[in-house]
Amino acid sequence: MNTFDFLMQGFAVAFQWQNILFAFAGVLIGTAVGVLPGIGPMNGVALLLPVTASLTAGLSPENAAASALILLAGIYYGAMYGGSTTSILLNTPGESASVMTTLDGYQMAKNGRAGAALAISAIGSFVAGIVALFGLILLAKPLSLIAIRFGPAEYFALMVLGLLAVSGLVGKSMTKALMMMMLGLALGTVGIDAVSGSARFTFDIPVLYSGLAFLTIAVGLFALGEVFKTTLEKDSTDAPIAKITRVMPTKQDMKDSAFPIARSSVLGFFIGVLPGAGATIASSFSYVMEKKISKNPEKFGKGAIEGVAAPETANNAAAGGALIPLLTLGIPGSGTTAIMMGAFIMYNIQPGPLLFQNHPNVVWGLIASMFVGNLMLLVLNMPLVKVFAKLIDTPVKYLMPLIIAFSVFGVYAVQFTTFDLMLLLVAGVFGYFLSKNDFPLPPLVLALVLGPMLENNLMRALTLSNGDYMIFFEKPLAAIFLVIAGLWLAVPLFLKNKSNKIKKALVEN
Amino acid sequence: MAFKKWLPVLLSVSVVLGLSGCGEETSSSADANTVEESGEAATVDFPTQPITAVVPNSAGGGNDAAARTLSKLMSNLDLVSQPITVQNKPGGGQAVGMAEFATKYNKDPHSLYVGSPPTIINNLRNEGNSPYGYKDVTPLGMIYSDIAILAVKKDSKYKDLKSFVADLKANPEEISIVGGSGPGSQDHLTVMLLADKSGIDPKKVKYIGYDGSGDALTSLLGENGDALTTDLSGITEFVKSGDVRILAVASPERLSGDLADVPTYTEQGVDLVYYNWRGIFGPQDLDPGIVGFWDENLKALTESQEFQDEIAASGFVPGYLDSAEFTTYLEEQEVMFEEILGKLDMLK
Repeated sequence: MNTFDFLMQGFAVAFQWQNILFAFAGVLIGTAVGVLPGIGPMNGVALLLPVTASLTAGLSPENAAASALILLAGIYYGAMYGGSTTSILLNTPGESASVMTTLDGYQMAKNGRAGAALAISAIGSFVAGIVALFGLILLAKPLSLIAIRFGPAEYFALMVLGLLAVSGLVGKSMTKALMMMMLGLALGTVGIDAVSGSARFTFDIPVLYSGLAFLTIAVGLFALGEVFKTTLEKDSTDAPIAKITRVMPTKQDMKDSAFPIARSSVLGFFIGVLPGAGATIASSFSYVMEKKISKNPEKFGKGAIEGVAAPETANNAAAGGALIPLLTLGIPGSGTTAIMMGAFIMYNIQPGPLLFQNHPNVVWGLIASMFVGNLMLLVLNMPLVKVFAKLIDTPVKYLMPLIIAFSVFGVYAVQFTTFDLMLLLVAGVFGYFLSKNDFPLPPLVLALVLGPMLENNLMRALTLSNGDYMIFFEKPLAAIFLVIAGLWLAVPLFLKNKSNKIKKALVEN
Repeated sequence: MAFKKWLPVLLSVSVVLGLSGCGEETSSSADANTVEESGEAATVDFPTQPITAVVPNSAGGGNDAAARTLSKLMSNLDLVSQPITVQNKPGGGQAVGMAEFATKYNKDPHSLYVGSPPTIINNLRNEGNSPYGYKDVTPLGMIYSDIAILAVKKDSKYKDLKSFVADLKANPEEISIVGGSGPGSQDHLTVMLLADKSGIDPKKVKYIGYDGSGDALTSLLGENGDALTTDLSGITEFVKSGDVRILAVASPERLSGDLADVPTYTEQGVDLVYYNWRGIFGPQDLDPGIVGFWDENLKALTESQEFQDEIAASGFVPGYLDSAEFTTYLEEQEVMFEEILGKLDMLK
């Protein structure tokens, strides 16, 4: 049988009535999970894992596994669709992959274009989902072989590039962005270091051993910071919020977003394949890429629709790409896929090199169901856009307490400690003062997420080379990433005194 | 119309529910009877309320799976009349969950703790120390374990443990060993035990810790590491597909089935037996009657066909120890860990 036959067989599985039902339940729960701040895709999948076990109890083992995975995968990519909602409406990224969406998404909402922003994320997500599926079907095996070659040196260089690229392009001042990045890196060192095993800044308090949670810091900085800002700066509450004239994106919006969506789908998919890097780096890179090649880069950060379309497309494409190492190698590339791997094992199916051979019905059924699920999500999300877009009209006196309640509830539901609630408040106060003084927040939270990975990979690479820093230049990919990262910092400084002509030439290079 | 159509279904569902409810009652009273007859727990009326099983890891991990298997099968097999609910308290490499259990659940007999070797190691090690260890809780039983293994990629030049150890001895700086957790964790310490027992200075061995065994396996397959130290359960598929070769397993005897031709450490001249055990603990100073209750029911659980099927499918090895045997085993392990951590200057 060739790939096409397998795929058709997969559709036969996906179109069984109970599996259509499971896919629908999955995407519906996923959307809800994505919209609620705090409960990200990882927690959604983890919470539903035991439930699926009892739901599928009556089916034969093979069918039960297919149905359960269809449901869980639905939650996974459904949450990716829903994740943009809070970023756009409340300036609150529910997970690290949606951080970049806040930059332009929230500005669009403030300009009364929340509907367009939400709709374009749904459309971008749909395109990304389909592109990633084709990629998954056609390229799974060769890509997985390339992905495992990525060693510590390459990862380190990629993370350096990712961080510098973001810091070089958000906010008004590069210096401030770099300061925020360093602060994020510093906060990321709290906890037990994975490579050396030493405890840093933990003061023998066990709750600090695992470090500061991204979720708590991000929700504090963004959501509570925004609440404090709105409350303290009274005039902004009295200013009438721009009336929503139109919910759906205009023709011009679609035209502006078409290429960013196409480019980000491909970029996101390929970055998603790398275990560990995934959606966060993909969304950052795609945003940076769009800003870089845009004819009007000054529009970014002020509500450019491309600035929403690109990261939202990329993070969905990355979610599809992340399934490749899971399905072909049994290696989970992210927290969410790690839990999905647990689901496979629960049904006595070991993801790994033999998965496609031993359980073709389960794998191809899952892949086929994702076509169905993505279509359902598009149909489901377009009417929801109208509902969510109206949320922005909620009077501030109701909206602010609601945001606080959701933030506290979301953080506690995931972390289960009062320590994180204190941290949330502290982060909120910092968020207010930082954004008041034009310090951009995305570099801080991205550095908090990427910092530990960056450092661990640096340590691993140096252990491998017995402390020789040349390892970063002996590996060609690592060297290329580092050179680009260096240029990223150097070129703008150099350009300050040069004409635009040279700038163009350099960008083309 | 629609209601009429569903009426028989509703009726039958309620009848079934009612019947199964009765079934539960009878079975629990039967349970109480057997306990009384055995004489061990004549005075304890246990359990009288739902039981909480604290897991010091997030959902989806090894201890979580053990707790969920326990919870599911104890009720499916009608061994424990009250439900066992799983509470995840992740963080600090099990230190957070351990502290929580040792301080907040210490007076609650309706609580369990599901742990693995960090229960001992965290209490001993210098960095990331946990103030609580297995002596602050009551060991109730080891239900199954995973076996430590050392593996290389299929095209590696090392065909057996001997050639690997010889090279490691000659050029420790040339060989990197990858594992799924940081220094001072079980993956790390098994390799250090191997080095120590083979006359190599453990401090010279190059160990690279990854975030999880999946990442470590990736680096082995991608040739960013020469050998992998991990648990057997995660790697069997790769052995079957021929991508990975196991040099040694840390079980006392060879395994059965597909892995019967993989030699043990012991037969290759290294005295190393190591289980990554999954253990059930109760709060400190638990009533001896309740300890007896768990001894009886954990034994029944581990002897059931359902349990055996479940762990065999996941690649774990059975090996039930009751509360007394388990306590002795933990004491032996503590001595072993203390010694190797001391040699690595990692002892508190």
